[in-house]
Amino acid sequence: MSEGGNVIELQSVALRYGTGPEILRDVNLTLQRGDLRFLTGASGAGKSSLLRLLFLALKPSRGNALLFGRNVNNLAISELPLLRRRLGVVFQDFRLLDHLSIFENVALPLRAMGQKPAAYSHDVLDLLDWVGLKGRATDRPDTLSGGEKQRAAIARAVVTKPDLILADEPTGNVDPAMGKRLLRLILELNRQGTTVLLATHDEQLIQQAHGKALHLESGSLKAA
Amino acid sequence: MLDPALEKPSPVFPHGAAPLRSLTITMAVMCYLACLAIGALVLINQAASAWTQGISREVTVQIRQRSGADMEQELAQALTILKAAPGVVAAEALDKSAGAKLLEPWLGKVPLDELPVPRLIRVTINETSPPDYKALEKQLAKQVPDASLDTHRRWQAELSRMAHALSLLAVFVLGLISLASVMLVVFAARAVLESNRGTVEVLALMGAQNKFISRQNDRQFLATGLIAGFAGLIAGLITFAGLFYLGGSSTDAMAEAGRSLVFAPAAVELRVGAALVLVPIAATLIALWTSRITLSRMLRSMP
Repeated sequence: MSEGGNVIELQSVALRYGTGPEILRDVNLTLQRGDLRFLTGASGAGKSSLLRLLFLALKPSRGNALLFGRNVNNLAISELPLLRRRLGVVFQDFRLLDHLSIFENVALPLRAMGQKPAAYSHDVLDLLDWVGLKGRATDRPDTLSGGEKQRAAIARAVVTKPDLILADEPTGNVDPAMGKRLLRLILELNRQGTTVLLATHDEQLIQQAHGKALHLESGSLKAA
Repeated sequence: MLDPALEKPSPVFPHGAAPLRSLTITMAVMCYLACLAIGALVLINQAASAWTQGISREVTVQIRQRSGADMEQELAQALTILKAAPGVVAAEALDKSAGAKLLEPWLGKVPLDELPVPRLIRVTINETSPPDYKALEKQLAKQVPDASLDTHRRWQAELSRMAHALSLLAVFVLGLISLASVMLVVFAARAVLESNRGTVEVLALMGAQNKFISRQNDRQFLATGLIAGFAGLIAGLITFAGLFYLGGSSTDAMAEAGRSLVFAPAAVELRVGAALVLVPIAATLIALWTSRITLSRMLRSMP
């Protein structure tokens, strides 16, 4: 993909689980490098499914989904890891590993990329400081509050300075002040060229970021 | 606060998870049982070989009492023939009371003069070049008509058959234990992998390559397999040592065989040692192989 190309390109994408009804219908979406979009919609509208499709946990049941110019339907298994490394994902349920410390959880994407602790420790500690978790670096996730877990999940998503951030309700569990701080972190990365798609119910967050919103309703995507 | 940057990274897959503990215990117990079965096999073989060796080292000549015959002269004649025969190392006539002692379990204490108790000659033979029994029997029958030669072959054959049957039984038990171990380890390894599914998914979604995930998985199963396998082996060796001490200084064949597990001849010890060391290694390889197959299926099932 050329650096100026589309980061996300969905063409008439539909998604269904097994033989169930279509969760997403004829979704068309194009996001370029440095774009910032908020994904809104009622619970069950398909926000999380759309994000799952974009972070390559699902494949579309019809239509074309292109990520960094690559059609995800035609990707070889061996190509998936390198493409996924360009993504930073904040899962709705955080998906932190309870047997690892917060430091190790946040550093996990770097470790999975083959980096050594000496190379990433400083950056990870800086990032933990930014999200207010430096003092909890050696603690396990099960000792953290929901908001702290969310901050750790965001730190893990951005630690690789990804090309695309996909976040499912990234500030849902934190207080407004921390929400603003986390948004600033994401916006800073966005200013540096990272494409961002955030699923949220938080209207205030959208206003603060002066971002454009996309509205999902019964599986169909509309500009809000 | 500890400096997380200075700490050794924790294993990506949790080492203390409950299914992993179950796998460790299962593997340790199965390895212990396999070691015991191998030990039993060696013990039976050693005991059988000690019994048959004792029997084949000696033969007996029996001289029946006959009215009018001079027993002492017949004894002397038989001894002369036996001592002159090639392959005979020694021949020794047992006194009258020795024959009566042999009858004691059936007849109780009996006055020796009232019963025609046969006289016995214990003949020690050269095992590597035994005498020609047929020729010896013929010669004895010709010159000492009341003598008969007992080569113990019937007993030896029966003992060998019994030892062979026991060995087969031990091999069968070892086979069953191995099969059960393989099945249990396979199921337990799958359970461990299933409990790690969430971690595998997170790693895959972060862009970890399959070989990175496999390497982490291998480390987990290698450590578990070796710890459990050698724990089973050590428990087995402690049991053998216990057998040795319980056998004490007894000279019977079973105690001798028990001791031979601990202080066997170098060649036997090497074979037994190799078989025992193979147990934890085989168990580890089975766990590793199963986990790799399960992990590879899991990774293939992910989008």
